Amino acid sequence: MKSLRLNPIVLILINIIAPSMYIFISGKYLQAFLFVFASMLLILMGRFKSLAVLFIVYFGMMGIYYMTVNNEKLQFIGLFLIVLVQSVPCLALASILVRKYNSAQLLSALETIHIPRVLVIAVTITLKYIPTFKREFSYILESMRLRGISFTWKHPIKSFQYFIVPQLFRCAALAEEVTAAGFVKGIDVPVKRTSYYEERIRVSDAAVLLVFVTGLAGGFLWKRMYL
Amino acid sequence: MEKNVLVANNLTFNYEESSEGISDINFSINEGDVILLTGNSGCGKSTLLKCLNGLIPTVTEGELSGELSINGDSYSELKMHQINKIIGSVFQNPRSQFFTENTTAELVFPMENYGYKKADMQKRLEELQGTFGIHQLMNRNIYTLSSGERQMIALSSAVSMNQKILLFDEPSANLDYGNAMLLGKIIKEMRNNGYTIIVADHRFFYLNGIIDKVLFLDKGKLKLYDSEDEFKSSGYDTRSFNIFSLDIPFRKRIDYESVVASMKNVSFKNILEDINLELHKGEVTVLVGPNGAGKTTLAKLLCKTYRPTSGTVDTDELPFFIMQDPDYQLFGTSVINELTLVKNDIESIKNCLDNLGLLPYRHKHPFDLSGGQKQRLQIAMATLCEKTLIIFDEPTSGLDVYSMHSVVKEILKLKINAGVLVISHDYEFIRHVADRVVFLDEGTIKKDFVLTEDSLSDLNNIFKHMQEERCNEKVED
Repeated sequence: MKSLRLNPIVLILINIIAPSMYIFISGKYLQAFLFVFASMLLILMGRFKSLAVLFIVYFGMMGIYYMTVNNEKLQFIGLFLIVLVQSVPCLALASILVRKYNSAQLLSALETIHIPRVLVIAVTITLKYIPTFKREFSYILESMRLRGISFTWKHPIKSFQYFIVPQLFRCAALAEEVTAAGFVKGIDVPVKRTSYYEERIRVSDAAVLLVFVTGLAGGFLWKRMYL
Repeated sequence: MEKNVLVANNLTFNYEESSEGISDINFSINEGDVILLTGNSGCGKSTLLKCLNGLIPTVTEGELSGELSINGDSYSELKMHQINKIIGSVFQNPRSQFFTENTTAELVFPMENYGYKKADMQKRLEELQGTFGIHQLMNRNIYTLSSGERQMIALSSAVSMNQKILLFDEPSANLDYGNAMLLGKIIKEMRNNGYTIIVADHRFFYLNGIIDKVLFLDKGKLKLYDSEDEFKSSGYDTRSFNIFSLDIPFRKRIDYESVVASMKNVSFKNILEDINLELHKGEVTVLVGPNGAGKTTLAKLLCKTYRPTSGTVDTDELPFFIMQDPDYQLFGTSVINELTLVKNDIESIKNCLDNLGLLPYRHKHPFDLSGGQKQRLQIAMATLCEKTLIIFDEPTSGLDVYSMHSVVKEILKLKINAGVLVISHDYEFIRHVADRVVFLDEGTIKKDFVLTEDSLSDLNNIFKHMQEERCNEKVED
């Protein structure tokens, strides 16, 4: 079966809307719906590895919650996880966006919804930072190991200090480098940007959005009926 | 009459936060010239390049005065995108070079910005593939390419808008000898096709015989040489033009005390095969070989980052590994704190800092140091760590000839108490520092010899072999 191709704009919209819905809709319903929705999307797009990760993390966290919920001493762990687990389906949805599309494709997609250029550039640069950070993260962990400054939970504050502060410096340098890379390649040209990867809105895009919106609407109904 | 494409009149720039600017720069560059822009670290090369591609004043802030013009138009009346349609930039650091992670996306990215139609993009993309022979590199992840391949993508994307003037920022820093010579060949061909090329670099052996003019910067001031010969006779250390003619004394052969690390019949995935190597205290071993031969993988096996697929790796303890980019290796809150993480003995730290000229900076944050100072800090860490094996990955990439000499001096001191393994492409540096040379090619050790007057031809042949492989041509002696 050919895997589903989605216009990145659909995913961007879903990623913006999904987490903010926790304010309006019952958390339990939304969490379950987003979990099913994200799983279906991962299957349709052929991203089985991410699906496996989603299942392991989600059910792992839920499992720990149910195991610790009746133990007064360990209860806090479960309560902590049950809050965190709400974000897991959202993170799965975000991972599709970051992994599947390159920054040129995202830029093109954002251009189609007529938001100001400055904002488009800002969002694209932010998105570009994620894979870069991931690459750097592994260098830094390796370097800490070789220096014998391993990350330990025994001294969380010290460990974070060694990790976070240098990372902030690197961020600042990186921001300037990325901006430079964009500018020498004409990111500031005042004409309408064209795209090599023309991303049109297809029937499949509309269908996915429809399922998503229906699911959310269901959430409002659920709230009316049961709360 | 020859056409001036770039003209600078009293160009001056001062940074807001540092004193490394340029002042009173005057030059004119003719169409079709190859220009070498050089000088010691911190001399203002990058500043001048940034003025030429418009990043100063658009992105980098500071005080700019004087006049700079391109094809007769003043820079002050041009927008960034107008300048960069005429000038293409090839940066050294892939993070500032590439905006996307995909090769094809990267090549079309400028064309998309300039509003090309899809059919035109396709046409230009095919032209670029033909010109630079990059068919096999299309639609790949940029970060999985080798340094040489990445350079070709950077170069192709810099001319994707048909720019006729090209700026290179230290292009040879991450290239092996063969790829650097290939780059020289490409620059020569581009010059013949009417391109104007400005190369900022500390090493220029690959430009031998094709330079029309040299812009030499010294502490922000410009000295102009109107020909390559004039520059060669200027008294600046330009020996690196002909690297094989260097006359450097050989190290005395000594009996090595003890083995500090050994690899027996080591294979790793399909990268390394049947590696046998012993490293000794008191010996500097240089690992040479083309980009992608497995040099860094070998070092990482010694560091226990990877486990060998078969065979055994034996080290007394974890080696000290000095990475190419110090930014990944600094964690302290000040220079002194950085070193106490290595050895908590304030007296020896102070001595060490004094020896390396870092004492005045001891309370500074490591990230506030200059590139050269950061590297000296790494060497200070290696000096204090008391490990039996110290590994350097390309310690001289991007260093001027004087900084290179100081690295040589420090490494020779380090080997008194430890074994040193150095990965390097830098012929001149290798000649100064190596007791022994190990040549790694296609995952196996092809040669392993003590560097003496008699074996010098072996080393030279390795370099010539690398050039022949890349450039597809016979190299004469």
